[in-house]
Amino acid sequence: MLYRLRKLAFLLVLPFPVFAHSAASATEPMFSADDVQFFEQKIRPVLVEHCYSCHSAEAASNDELQGGLLVDTRAGLLEGGDSGPAVLPGKPTDGMLLDALRYETFEMPPSGPLPKTVIADFEEWIRRGAADPRTGKSPSTIKRAIDIEAGREHWAYQPIPDVVVPPKTGDFAATPIDAFVQQRLKEAGIQPNPRADRRTLIRRLYFDLLGLPPKPQQIDEFIADQSSDAYEKLVDRLLSSPAFGQRWGRHWLDIARFAESVTLRGLVQHQAWRYRDYTIEAFNADLPYNEFLKQQIAGDLLPAETIAEQRRNAIATTFLTMTNANLEDQDKEKLRMDVVDEQLTVIGSAILGQTIGCARCHDHKFDPIPTRDYYAMAGILSNIRTLQTSNVSRWLDLPLAVDPEQQTQIDQFAQKTKSLETEIASLKTQLGQAAPKPVVASIESLPGIIVDDEDATFVGEWQHSTFSKPFVGRGYHHDQNTARGEKFAIYKTQLPMSGIYEVRVSVSIGSNRSTHVPITIHAADGKHEKIINQQVKPPIDELFHSLGKYEFRADEPATVTISNAGATGVVVAEAVQFLSPKISSTTPKSPKDKAKELEKQQRTKTLTAQLKSLEKELSTLRKQAPVQPAYMGVVERPEIKETRINIRGNVHNLGAVAPRGFLQVASGEADFEMPADESGRVQLGEWLADPANPLPARVMANRVWHWLFGAGLVRTTDNFGKTGETPSHPELLDYLARRFIDQNWSVKSLIREIVLSETYRRANHSNPGEDEAHRMTVDPENRLLWRRNRKRLEAECLLDSMLCVSQEIDMQHGGKTLRDGLSADYDYHYESHRRGVYWPVLRNSLPEMMQVFDGANPSLVTGRRNTSSVSPQALFLMNNQWVIGRCEATAKWLLADEDATDEERIHRLFRTALGRPPTSEELALSLEFVTATTDETTDREMRWSHLVQSVFSSLDFRFVD
Amino acid sequence: MNDRRHAPVSRRQLLQNVACGFGGLALSAMAHQNASASAKKAGNSLGELPTHFPPCAKRVIFIFMQGGPSQVDTFDYKPALAEQDGNSFEFSDARVKANSGKKVSTHKLMKSPWKFRQYGETGRWVSDLFPETARHVDDMAMVHSMHTEGVAHGPATIFLHTGATNFVRPSVGSWITYGLGTENANLPGFVAICPSAGNGGPRNYGSAFLPPSCQGTAIGDPNSPDIMIRDLKNPSTSRNEQQRHLQLTQALNRQQLLQNGGGAELESVVKSYELAWRMQSHAPELLDLVGETPETLKLYGIGEKETDKFGRQCLIARRLCEAGVRYLQVNYGDNGANPAWDQHSNLPKHEQHARRVDRPISALLTDLKRRGLLEDTLVWWGSEFGRTPYSQSNGTGRDHNPSGFTMWLAGGGVKPGITYGSTDEFGHQAVENKVHMHDMHATILHLLGIDHEKLTYRYSGRDFRLTDVHGHVVHDLFA
Repeated sequence: MLYRLRKLAFLLVLPFPVFAHSAASATEPMFSADDVQFFEQKIRPVLVEHCYSCHSAEAASNDELQGGLLVDTRAGLLEGGDSGPAVLPGKPTDGMLLDALRYETFEMPPSGPLPKTVIADFEEWIRRGAADPRTGKSPSTIKRAIDIEAGREHWAYQPIPDVVVPPKTGDFAATPIDAFVQQRLKEAGIQPNPRADRRTLIRRLYFDLLGLPPKPQQIDEFIADQSSDAYEKLVDRLLSSPAFGQRWGRHWLDIARFAESVTLRGLVQHQAWRYRDYTIEAFNADLPYNEFLKQQIAGDLLPAETIAEQRRNAIATTFLTMTNANLEDQDKEKLRMDVVDEQLTVIGSAILGQTIGCARCHDHKFDPIPTRDYYAMAGILSNIRTLQTSNVSRWLDLPLAVDPEQQTQIDQFAQKTKSLETEIASLKTQLGQAAPKPVVASIESLPGIIVDDEDATFVGEWQHSTFSKPFVGRGYHHDQNTARGEKFAIYKTQLPMSGIYEVRVSVSIGSNRSTHVPITIHAADGKHEKIINQQVKPPIDELFHSLGKYEFRADEPATVTISNAGATGVVVAEAVQFLSPKISSTTPKSPKDKAKELEKQQRTKTLTAQLKSLEKELSTLRKQAPVQPAYMGVVERPEIKETRINIRGNVHNLGAVAPRGFLQVASGEADFEMPADESGRVQLGEWLADPANPLPARVMANRVWHWLFGAGLVRTTDNFGKTGETPSHPELLDYLARRFIDQNWSVKSLIREIVLSETYRRANHSNPGEDEAHRMTVDPENRLLWRRNRKRLEAECLLDSMLCVSQEIDMQHGGKTLRDGLSADYDYHYESHRRGVYWPVLRNSLPEMMQVFDGANPSLVTGRRNTSSVSPQALFLMNNQWVIGRCEATAKWLLADEDATDEERIHRLFRTALGRPPTSEELALSLEFVTATTDETTDREMRWSHLVQSVFSSLDFRFVD
Repeated sequence: MNDRRHAPVSRRQLLQNVACGFGGLALSAMAHQNASASAKKAGNSLGELPTHFPPCAKRVIFIFMQGGPSQVDTFDYKPALAEQDGNSFEFSDARVKANSGKKVSTHKLMKSPWKFRQYGETGRWVSDLFPETARHVDDMAMVHSMHTEGVAHGPATIFLHTGATNFVRPSVGSWITYGLGTENANLPGFVAICPSAGNGGPRNYGSAFLPPSCQGTAIGDPNSPDIMIRDLKNPSTSRNEQQRHLQLTQALNRQQLLQNGGGAELESVVKSYELAWRMQSHAPELLDLVGETPETLKLYGIGEKETDKFGRQCLIARRLCEAGVRYLQVNYGDNGANPAWDQHSNLPKHEQHARRVDRPISALLTDLKRRGLLEDTLVWWGSEFGRTPYSQSNGTGRDHNPSGFTMWLAGGGVKPGITYGSTDEFGHQAVENKVHMHDMHATILHLLGIDHEKLTYRYSGRDFRLTDVHGHVVHDLFA
């Protein structure tokens, strides 16, 4: 069956029937006067007083109707609210109302339960037929319906137009971008700042594009380059550096919530790193963004020409698995929907700039996203599996494609391993090793005379059980740990001949058992008492305790009694065994038997040798075996099912089916057919990649702007809905989005165009003139882009910069950086000289630098990082061991050149760390610091190290203009 | 409410501070002022925020018993349990229900191995696990009818701390710090003492989408004996030397501030070094327990094997609370998947935990009271859930029970000596005057002068609050 998603607007303007049984009847029923009087006296006043404020037409008109339930009309009660009918006449147990009054489902009224007598009145009223003379509307006629067509008028849902670039005026309108910006500046009467100097520009470009500081030599070369396209050449060089993907890939990882462990139990996700590498490569290769999106959602289902492509596509779907859900949640259906919800929320804010999650419980309050749309998309993601369900559920590590030759090898090894394992198992069985522990010993298999508990006589209440194995026969009895001293189990038997017998009792042990169980043996010479501990493993075959040898006579019954007197826990009564050499079940051994036994021993020897050799072979094989690489991903469900709306977001309260589909408000004319044999992820990816979908291109163009300028044209980068901000330059945003699509969704081209604009190249501050006051009054937040925003260096940039200055940085590209076999992420010790982007992201042990300097929270979509200035940052720079280590390394490097003067060293430090020479004041302060004598003896290296630390703590290191 | 966080601080004021140079004023001030005086001083000028209505409590100490101590073996006395010991009944077991949807299952009651006695003028029953704490029953409000979300530790622990089982939300302490600001600018507003890394770890004191300044500062952990703020002490430099070095930093910063034309974001960074230095000068003393009498140390059981660690945690809590920290989380737990009080088998092990915490908790209440701090400090004791009155299959322990358990409150405007709500005859499910964890959160905010429905934060297009769309203030608990 194919589901077609067309323009369903007609359906949405009409409220859709959510509830199976709309019980409102057309004909007016007749009630007896008594019943009506009962209603008027006992029921109506309560409803008016306690319920109307939230469940009446008046509440609805104030937009305060709760749960979609009206109780001020009979029709309202019969039809009920979102959770179903409130009252079913004559059936007090069936409607929602009574349960809610009893605080069993909902707790109504919320101020506290009504008196029991009142609740009893309601019960009686319903039982008598719920007489109710009130007429009036049912909720379905007054429910607010979302008008999708009207919703489309919001700027973000408008198709992206071809924008006309304003005519260029004056010097500033160098590029189309500048023309748009200039237009608004002119309207506001603001004169923008001039272009920044080259020294500032190169530092800006390096951090914005690569996240690294420029080296002094690179700065000098750029300043010295007289060619007219010096800046352009620099931009192109940086865009083609592999460090570019490390910087911009990290931006996307903020959005994707990249992490390599989950909070709960600190479980480590050993394959997550592949997604980091994939992302970095995608940005370096300038993979068209729409292709990138398709891969995120459905890479594993896309056709691929090469194995490498197949692998890449599959790894992209790790995007869907980056959940920090509570894997331990015991309500697994809820957990499953929570994961779907997270996927939707992330797709919503990351790609569409929509707060879709709001529609899980109710129609979106601000944006034209009905609950039905939420479940239409949830329907797609419900048909994939993201977790392996278990007490603590688990993500899926799936096999990653390798080239056929390698796969053959892997398969061969796997086959060989398997056949070896089978052989070993079979040998073990033959040797009797693999035989499961004696779970149940049959009476026939045991020698001597057995009296099982089934044949015992019980005094007091004993419970039969088979819970704890092993035991003899069909189970055992226990005393339920009650009535101590009052319970006995009596085993009585007639022995075949008089003589000495060994008496044994079997026990099914357990940690709750009594350590003190008295047993009485009635032998020929009288009574004997023995105590056994039923917690310890019986020494004989793990089943029997020996009670010793006693004489019994054939003409008197042999009796053994187990008592629970003085017990410390549960007392078990199992089997009793009488053993005598005279009645041994095994007949004396004949010479033939002896030969057989010898042969058996020989055979055992051979088998054991064989087993040993095979086990050795297996262990060697395992060491050599090529590993099947794995990635974190999702799998399609074998059978595609439709999803029902979860009423109020409750997975156990299901409403109408929501056919799979997308957000209608952002859907264009295109038809996407939902396949009957696939989840629909491919279609979802295509819808996201469709140029007619106005959101993804706008959202990404704005993100790029944000990452370059420190503030987006829409500053709420993850929210383009009505509660988000409107763009400062709508036409410019449309221009950029259109250019982005037209240039085949190339992120690099978009970045290039933006950084080549004059707007990007503006100085942060200029000599304050008269204009300053005007600009600060008209546009203090720089929405009109009259200057460059000053940016804090993010955590990774600080970390990378310190490693660059100390000359320790390891620029290795890609790969797993987490120790194999790490099982929990607690107290992870970071010791790496690699770029910050390659430091493991462990949710319970984030690197301190990331924690303190506002690194992205890996559990939340982070389109904009926080920019705080809090004292823990200062403490970190002042006292942290890692920082001190970098300062010491820098000092060593500076002092290594023995020929240099202190002044030269200070120059070198400032040029490397801040991209500029020190000012004369800075030089003087620094010189004084490293040479001054104090009453404390501090060695020279430490002095220098402190100077470095001061430079690392200084504003010009922590900010970039 | 968002806007209240950006208290206008005059640019001139900041520049003046910077221009005075680092060190001078701040250093001498810190050296001579006692904690509370400086708390008051700093509090008035830096970030104490107005409340919705007059507060009864100014700060909170939450004593977290991780893993789920059993209510029927501690504070919820159920004689029927002993009478029916060993008998089987049908119960609505939360785990069975979550796993299988089965509403009832049969379980065997297990009586408490501990004796209960009556304490105080109110004659409240407390078991022999908490004989010391029991001496304070006349100051406590016992809530026997708690119920919460989540059957497993992870979800329930996160729910207790953040009001959500699955989604990443700000913790109670972060909301309170966000709502009320800090009383002492030299110290963090929210401190978690020895939090566990397991079952939510940093999420249990995290600020999620709230400003990072509302984040709980973790000091110490369950495993190590040290209880110290991270990066608070310099490992290799003397105090004088570091002061000289910081003076250089601030001198460079003054230069650069001028060169760059100033700006609030630069000034706040310069300012942060001063605050950091004050914290560094001030906090170690607090945490090192300088100036406490031997009598006090003994009261808390410090120096005695069983009570030393938790005793120090409680004493540090009192000192920090005295110094103006707004929200303190004192954690007794560990990093395991079956944390501390989680006695699925071997219930008698409860005794070991009780012996470690009972005396320090009692000491904290005594100490707060004699210093007059209990009046405006709310002490909140409890766990992520309770335990079942029936045994688990092996018969020696109890399973998790989110349907009914006990928490108690003391001080900070709470009606002393009362009990509120009750569980059924066996102590399994809350039946009378039920208090959901959301209600408890709402009630605590109310005591602090905050309307839980008004303390909101706009994030991702939505106004979030601690209690989501739930929560009723339990007014009956107020004095």
